[in-house]
Amino acid sequence: MSNLNSIQYFIPELFLTAAILVLIIVDLVLKDRKGHIIAYLTAASAIIAGILAYQQFNLPAASLFQGMIVVDSFAIFFKILAAFSTAIIVFISLDSFGDKAEYNILLLIVTLGMFLMPAVNDILMIIIAMEIVGLMSYVLAGFHKKDLKSTEAALKYMIYGAASTGIMAFGFSLIYGLTGHTNLYDIQTALVNGHANPVAMFVAFMMILGGLGYKIAMVPFHFWVPDVYEGAPTPVTAFLSVGPKAAGFALFIRFLVTVIAHPTYGSFGSFTQNVQIQAPLLLAVLAVLTMTLGNFSALNQKNIKRMLGYSAIAHVGYMVMALVVLNNDAFGAVMFYMIVYLFMNFGAFWVVESFASKLGGEEIENYKGLGYRDPFTAVSMAIFMFSLTGLPPFAGFIGKVYLFSAVIKQGWYILALIGVLNSVVSLFYYLSVVKSMFLRQEDENVPIQSSLYHKVLVVIFVVPTLLLGVYWQPIINFTTHSIGIFFGK
Amino acid sequence: MVGFYTVLLFIFTGAFLVSFTVALSRFFAPTKQYPEKLIPYECGDLPQGDAWIQFNNRFYIVALIFLIFDVEVMFLFPWAVVFNDMGLLAFVEMFIFIVVLLVGYAYVWVKGDLDWIKPKPRLEHLAKGKGE
Repeated sequence: MSNLNSIQYFIPELFLTAAILVLIIVDLVLKDRKGHIIAYLTAASAIIAGILAYQQFNLPAASLFQGMIVVDSFAIFFKILAAFSTAIIVFISLDSFGDKAEYNILLLIVTLGMFLMPAVNDILMIIIAMEIVGLMSYVLAGFHKKDLKSTEAALKYMIYGAASTGIMAFGFSLIYGLTGHTNLYDIQTALVNGHANPVAMFVAFMMILGGLGYKIAMVPFHFWVPDVYEGAPTPVTAFLSVGPKAAGFALFIRFLVTVIAHPTYGSFGSFTQNVQIQAPLLLAVLAVLTMTLGNFSALNQKNIKRMLGYSAIAHVGYMVMALVVLNNDAFGAVMFYMIVYLFMNFGAFWVVESFASKLGGEEIENYKGLGYRDPFTAVSMAIFMFSLTGLPPFAGFIGKVYLFSAVIKQGWYILALIGVLNSVVSLFYYLSVVKSMFLRQEDENVPIQSSLYHKVLVVIFVVPTLLLGVYWQPIINFTTHSIGIFFGK
Repeated sequence: MVGFYTVLLFIFTGAFLVSFTVALSRFFAPTKQYPEKLIPYECGDLPQGDAWIQFNNRFYIVALIFLIFDVEVMFLFPWAVVFNDMGLLAFVEMFIFIVVLLVGYAYVWVKGDLDWIKPKPRLEHLAKGKGE
């Protein structure tokens, strides 16, 4: 589609761009009189962009800007998820950063990047979209300028990020050299028809895996996660663990489906392998490594943010299992898991964020006796922890059931078994938080008064975590309808 | 693939030549060590103070602003070359591009990063103690 015709399908992104510019101007005009206005406007813009994206849901899939990006239901699903997570994060960080215009505007720019990431159809757009998200995330991670840990987190994040992007760009240049195309669909056609050197193709794939694996925090590209998650401000940590990661998964899936795998029966069916890379086996090994390392490193953590950081790595491991089988069941499972993970993870981080000052720290030790000091919050936190483990009545269980069943259906029994065993291991450290809250007491339990705002947000996260554990059909219907990946130039 | 053997040969030759000449000079050059040789060279004078000093980070900001508008000019030149063929559309596109950059310029201006001499450093938010 030509550039001018594409604009009508590009409205959500255009709206976001305009909103970013307007918000910067509003910030400049209002100067010190703004209060939380920018934060509310940011949340409103994110939600409107999500609604605009949803309106495109039933349009026929198409490629825009001469094949640079596509608009299809798969991308739109992740766009809505991105907009929603941004809106929630604005409210999570209202207390700490509500009056910081730059923070909110940066969040909105990340959202623009996350709108582009699931929709890329060209190597150049992959780099641009990932860098929009990446660069803004580096700044956000270091937003506590006077805090040494925050600064260290930002610096580490940036240096590792720059290195991984460089490696990925090298891989892309190899692919371009092998096929002569930058469009993902053209690359696939060239790979199917031509005879690319398998060794060079393998090297290129490994390099690209480095860049994409970094974005989703997959072992062995996970090393930035603990330090960044601990050092960054808590709302930013929550955001990084859900928003950009979901967009990264979308990009990863699109890349694998379009370039590495080859659809045998149109776009709905099973995928066969395209080039002689043992991609499923390789990803299976990485999935096992990711979840095992994440879970076993989380066992000994004393800081709850660091513990949640390692647990985030483990959850990436579960989701990478879906990339191993690479069929529609697996995509649906990942999408559903992302929604569930958004609620339970944001919930846990919100409790950490709003109680850090009241409890005097972010160590698990600080949560001692919380069950007697503020039962409501403690019970909610326990629900998030159980759900993250994947225990039956909660949403995390359903998410895992879909993931594991997709893996088992394709005969990866050992992979599913290791996944289940890992869930058992994760029970230990999630329960240690619960144990700290309920089974241990301080000498006298001073009740903690939490604000109405805190309670309302907790309820917003708890209700879906409970509800999706018993009634998940509408969401599954939605994700099943969203698996329309566009193939074409 | 055959053409790449010359590259391989080139790499090996380069590595060999460099290590060979370095080894040669180590072997033949006279070595006389005395303390003055370890002092950093500062235009012949005796060096004063440490090389690791903090300097004003406004240099970075000005460099960044320069970079933004430098890149703008880089995009303006190819645009100007094809402007006659593309007509109104190109004009509108470049107009939007410059408006976006102007917002950034306004931001820098209003936030006071273009004033070299800042009227009052606002230091009250800094924690007293370490490093002061």
